[in-house]
Amino acid sequence: MNLAERLRSVVRVEPAKAGPHDDEERFHDDEERGGRLQPAHHDHIAETLGGEWRDGRYLVVDRTYHAGFRLGRVAVSDCLPADDGRWPRLGLLMSGAGGADPPCGRLLFLDLETTGLAGGAGTYAFLVGCGWFDGAVFRVRQFVLTSFAAERLLLEELAALMRAAGVLVTYNGKTFDAPLIDTRFLFHRLEAPCSGLAHIDLLHPARRLWRPAVDFHLGGGEPSCRLSLMEQSILGHVREDDVPGFEIPSRYFQFVRSGDARGLDGVLEHNRLDVLSLAMLTARASQLLDEGAPAAHTAREALGLGRLYERGGMTEEARACFARAIELEADIFTRVEALRAYAVLCRRERRYLEAADAWRRMLTLHGCPPRLTQEATEALAVHHEHRARDLSMARQFAVQSLQFNVSRSRAQAVHHRLARIDRKLGGSSPQPAPLF
Amino acid sequence: MLPAKRTSAAQEMALQTVLDRLTGGLPAPRDMPDGWVTAVRVLPARAASHAPFPPGIDHRLRDALQSRGIEQLYTHQAVAIDHALTRRNLVITTPTASGKTLCYNAPVLNAILRDPSTRALYLFPTKALAQDQLAELHELSNVLSGDETSIGVFTYDGDTPQDARRAIRGRAHIVLTNPDMIHSGILPHHPRWAKLFENLRYVVIDELHAYRGVFGSHLTNVLRRLRRICRHYGSNPTFICSSATIANPRELAESLVEQPFELVSENGAPRGEKFFLFVNPPVVSQQLGIRRSYLSETRRIAGEFLKRDLQSIVFAQSRLSTELLTTYLKDDFEGPPGTREQIRGYRGGYLPQRRREIEKGLREGIVRAVVSTNALELGIDIGALDVCVMAGYPGTIAATWQRAGRAGRRSGRSAAVLVASSAPLDQFVVRNPSYFFDAPPERALINPDNLHILVDHVKCAAFELPFTASETYGRHDVQEVLGVLAESGLVHRGEDQWQWTSESYPADAVSLRSISSDNFVVVDITQGADVIGETSFTSGPATLHERAIYLVEGVLYQVERLDFEGRKAFVRRIDCDYYTDAITYTKVTVLDTFAADPTASHGEVHVSSRVVGFKKIKFYTNENVGSGELDLPEQQMHTTAYWLTVPREVMAALPYASDDRRDGVVGLSFAMRQVAQLLLMCDRQDIGISIGGGDEAEPGVSSRNDPRPHFPDEPRVFIYDNYPGGIGFSEPLFRMHGELLSRTRELIAGCECEHGCPTCVGPVGNTGPLAKVVALRILDQIAAQSTGRLEAGVA
Repeated sequence: MNLAERLRSVVRVEPAKAGPHDDEERFHDDEERGGRLQPAHHDHIAETLGGEWRDGRYLVVDRTYHAGFRLGRVAVSDCLPADDGRWPRLGLLMSGAGGADPPCGRLLFLDLETTGLAGGAGTYAFLVGCGWFDGAVFRVRQFVLTSFAAERLLLEELAALMRAAGVLVTYNGKTFDAPLIDTRFLFHRLEAPCSGLAHIDLLHPARRLWRPAVDFHLGGGEPSCRLSLMEQSILGHVREDDVPGFEIPSRYFQFVRSGDARGLDGVLEHNRLDVLSLAMLTARASQLLDEGAPAAHTAREALGLGRLYERGGMTEEARACFARAIELEADIFTRVEALRAYAVLCRRERRYLEAADAWRRMLTLHGCPPRLTQEATEALAVHHEHRARDLSMARQFAVQSLQFNVSRSRAQAVHHRLARIDRKLGGSSPQPAPLF
Repeated sequence: MLPAKRTSAAQEMALQTVLDRLTGGLPAPRDMPDGWVTAVRVLPARAASHAPFPPGIDHRLRDALQSRGIEQLYTHQAVAIDHALTRRNLVITTPTASGKTLCYNAPVLNAILRDPSTRALYLFPTKALAQDQLAELHELSNVLSGDETSIGVFTYDGDTPQDARRAIRGRAHIVLTNPDMIHSGILPHHPRWAKLFENLRYVVIDELHAYRGVFGSHLTNVLRRLRRICRHYGSNPTFICSSATIANPRELAESLVEQPFELVSENGAPRGEKFFLFVNPPVVSQQLGIRRSYLSETRRIAGEFLKRDLQSIVFAQSRLSTELLTTYLKDDFEGPPGTREQIRGYRGGYLPQRRREIEKGLREGIVRAVVSTNALELGIDIGALDVCVMAGYPGTIAATWQRAGRAGRRSGRSAAVLVASSAPLDQFVVRNPSYFFDAPPERALINPDNLHILVDHVKCAAFELPFTASETYGRHDVQEVLGVLAESGLVHRGEDQWQWTSESYPADAVSLRSISSDNFVVVDITQGADVIGETSFTSGPATLHERAIYLVEGVLYQVERLDFEGRKAFVRRIDCDYYTDAITYTKVTVLDTFAADPTASHGEVHVSSRVVGFKKIKFYTNENVGSGELDLPEQQMHTTAYWLTVPREVMAALPYASDDRRDGVVGLSFAMRQVAQLLLMCDRQDIGISIGGGDEAEPGVSSRNDPRPHFPDEPRVFIYDNYPGGIGFSEPLFRMHGELLSRTRELIAGCECEHGCPTCVGPVGNTGPLAKVVALRILDQIAAQSTGRLEAGVA
């Protein structure tokens, strides 16, 4: 056996996975495979994907979305930043200290398509989609890596674009896109651009604002927060013929092997939609933050908005949002959450009567989870003992809080409270009142 | 209770007393192969030889060493440090406790002091060893870390928490890790380690001798990948290796790293006088070749030392015998419950915290005896003890010296005692002491260009960094390898490089400790379904067939079902008094002969084997108490083999019946296997044996029980590498052919049994009564033939 045969028996060669396109004979002659792409091919690729070559090495695809362009209910013109290009209160979307100060500079919306999810030096970002608002339009620029040899040049142009931006906006980018793109830069011994750039990962605020309520009784699985679902529920846009994410790497490999770019067009469109809807969702979040409680459409949104304000130290705005969340029609879970958020915030602000009112409203809700009912009764016991100084009410709430399955230490604390209340009540109630 | 600790003079007297009792007072009697003590050797004391610090050593490092009592270096340390400072690769082979670690720590710390951007990578074969080194390095680096310099030393392995990893990548000057982690955690993520790879000055490989066979072949490839990545980042590290005493340390280092090496082997450290004894438990049944239990013998001898409060380490061959001996010695010596434990067991399965506690107890002298598996053979710091008793031959000369080195102080006497079991290797060694004491130790062999191993690593390398169209890698044409990988879509040839075009992370599918990751999993279904073990694909059918008895730490399981396709065996706990031994038919077909002389050859072969049945063997008596038939799929592989051809005229001239002639060849092959294992420094399952004509038409023969009628007129005894693609044993075995046959003759001729036993030509019943005689006759005839040829040639 010669080496190749022995190798084949070791590798157990199976034919490469068939891609989405079978009609590729035209691109399959051997001279072209493995060699430098022929100029004719270059033209074909640029034409199919609607882009331009840079140095004949990688492809840049530019698209402009004019003010009237819509995704569902939302038009580009609805999303434009203020005339000075600033996004007020955008800092509230940043994780960490953030604060209400808006970060400076242009927002760059970024989304990658990669050759896999494994990570490591062999996972490439073959498509880098970037978007930004420019006057009254939204522009998307996509960098398509057609051969590995061009990656360094591509990254250098991308770095220039990123340097010109003030803030990076991604969806789940803190976990995925930023480390991956940084890895590509480090691979080429270039400075990693993401670490020095302000970064808004919209996934986290989007979860607060728009994720459906978690059913307390079911627990477990959190509702999905995929970008395409957000796009559907918030922007009202349903994608047609969208390329599913799992198919993307194999479509790229198919292109690399055959030189046929037709399978990639759908991937580029998928990426453009991701970038655009990311920008629109960010704009929506920014508008909410700017306009405050009255802008919230749903109780859920009002609640999430309040949480964002609360985290940023804007308690006045937060309280208004929680109050609105209580007013708006909502499912039981959202209502309970809103009341609790309101009560906790008020207590912290020493607005004890408002807090007590909210706790009491929680107790009237049918279906309030036991954990929270117990928290409310305990809070009310404290309120009546120390603030309202109504010891018999305090005692009643303390006793009520014991009917829930609570931890031993918790129960002990309640018993202490009861003993103390009874002492304070003194002779007025010589016999311990029956528990129920 | 043991007596309290005494002065060293008293200890020396105590040691002398025990030795006198064991040897009958003779200082160093001659070897007595048939005796109880078969050999006594005295290794003389040696004074230290010192050398000054080499000029390149930074004064801060010198001060730090002096503050820890190191005023000057031993000569080997000075030579080694000098090589390392001048960036020459080196391998050090001085014994345990000779200050080996300083040979690499000094140049590494020195380089970091001079240039704080310097980085170093330390590789240890196990995580425990890395932990052990961490403690020592921390002490030194703490002394050295001043206000302006802080030297970061961290372990990085599977146990490192995720949130600590980023900090380590940024701050570690020295990263202590293992080859598996480099392979699957560091190299595939090299961009994150850019700082390390850009500044990588030294790579330290400790316990180099551990990297032989499959593991070593993988390591060569991991280092090929490492050096590729270093080139990418513009660094070119110097390698510092340390090894136990093996025959070919420099050759091993050079084939692992594929660069020239300097060898430092002259030990400058002082050594106290050391006694080395071989003990062979007396024969109880001459006919069956059964000796007194070596475990009871070990218990008795260790007891003699312990009675006189000599701190001891006892090595056992398995986890089970470790636990047994620990129990025996505790029964004999431990105080009432609640008092401090002075006798401890030690093995891999113990929790790290318990192991650290035992190690500390040994260093401080609180623990007076430890019974250990090979877990304590490697360089874990337990201080120097008085006595080492080995229950059974550790399998290699190198490992035996390594274990014996656990006893021995820099001054004062120590002793090592080897108690032989009745296994063939043990018996050969204790009856031929000069083989152990005078011959060079084993050679460590690797075959990094085994296609199975090579292809796996080419995939990993292509993932890490695209191959260029002119790049070379290993001995084979890597461009051709990449071409075949492209056929399955893993890579794609671009303009001038090969791009990785797969979503997979190839390192995850490659285990450095085996050839293929295709293993059988053993599932215990006694209660629920727990995975209790794993067996390689090749040995799966023979050990996991239905009704086979599967042993884990002395617990018996019976296989209920073997799911061959799913690679799972379902077992259930059982109480029985037998174990099973599979009957395997193996056929070897020669595909290509690389070299041949009249009786010996080596080349590429096709091995097909099938498990056709099994025998039930009673524990202790080894009686055959039943059997069963099996129908399992045939397994096939291409590998390399050495083979002995018994010439037609030698066979024809044997004055015995044809059955007896067959027994002679079968017995000869049984003995040759033992000796081959000895010469190759390999494990039993690393090689396989088969007898046949070697042609397509002729079936193989494995034993007298083999019902197939035909026995070849010119039989060949194949000793093949039991790994697909071969692991490099055949060619050396071919070169050692003469020694293989002469040692085999010594083994058979020297055995005290009458008609054959498991120590020489195999148990009676497997072969007939004449196997021993015929095997010797065949060997003599072959020897006479070659002498005849030689004389004819001279004339």
